[in-house]
Amino acid sequence: MTILRIIADVCIALGCFFALAGVVGLLRMPDAFCRMQSSTNITTLGILGAVIGCALHAIGMRNWAMLVKTLVIGLFFLATGPIAGHSICKGAYRAGVRPEREMVCDEYGRDEFDD
Amino acid sequence: MKKATVPAVAATFLVCAVFWLLITWSLDVQKLIAGAVICLIAALFSARFFVQGRPFGLLRPGCFFSALAYFLVIFPGELIKANWDVARRAFSPRLPVNPGIVRVPTALTNDCALNLLANSITLTPGTITMDIADDEEGKTWYYIHCIDADAESAPEEKGEAIKGTLEKWAGRIFR
Repeated sequence: MTILRIIADVCIALGCFFALAGVVGLLRMPDAFCRMQSSTNITTLGILGAVIGCALHAIGMRNWAMLVKTLVIGLFFLATGPIAGHSICKGAYRAGVRPEREMVCDEYGRDEFDD
Repeated sequence: MKKATVPAVAATFLVCAVFWLLITWSLDVQKLIAGAVICLIAALFSARFFVQGRPFGLLRPGCFFSALAYFLVIFPGELIKANWDVARRAFSPRLPVNPGIVRVPTALTNDCALNLLANSITLTPGTITMDIADDEEGKTWYYIHCIDADAESAPEEKGEAIKGTLEKWAGRIFR
């Protein structure tokens, strides 16, 4: 089971790397929208790496309940993460948040919305 | 408002029950009864929001295997590419970003497919769907915030760069 253990640890390390990249981006990006972009790094490969690593550990321990629960946690993250990101971004834009540095193009502000 | 039909409630109940079984991971009679009651109540209230179009439509073989291929092969591939790209930008000393909001057209018409594609786009780092809107001619457009926006090229080309093969597969899953 050593090989499984190594693969699981590599998965968790990759997850940590992408979570770190997400946090570095979160601190360095210039405006709210770009920060949201960087934070999806954490909710996708950061979480998924940790969850898959955990699931492989569970297989190594023959603990099927743990395996299934970790996979369901990953599934819920994939289902709820984008909706939160989308509504934060849209809400920020509607509330009048604009980046300090001019955007390359802003076709959302150009078109009129009345819903 | 749409009325909930019996097949729709049954489909919602089944999904809830599967999640209940997976989360509790026990066949204890007490837990099963509690789960059935809770799932039935949840299904009665949420079926009309949860089921759009045909209940059990995802279980048709073509749709089912498309969904499997999408979530196990196509989407993870896009996810890893995009994650690597954004991580590289975050660590790069010059911070190479030129953010912007672009408008791209889509050929999808089904609400579920539109939603799946919008969420997939949001989930890939570097792009966030901000809105879905119809124009006067009935064409559907996505408004997408990109970390590396391309202001010059035609809307179709921008769409190709952002959506890649995801759109084709989303259309196949919800037919």
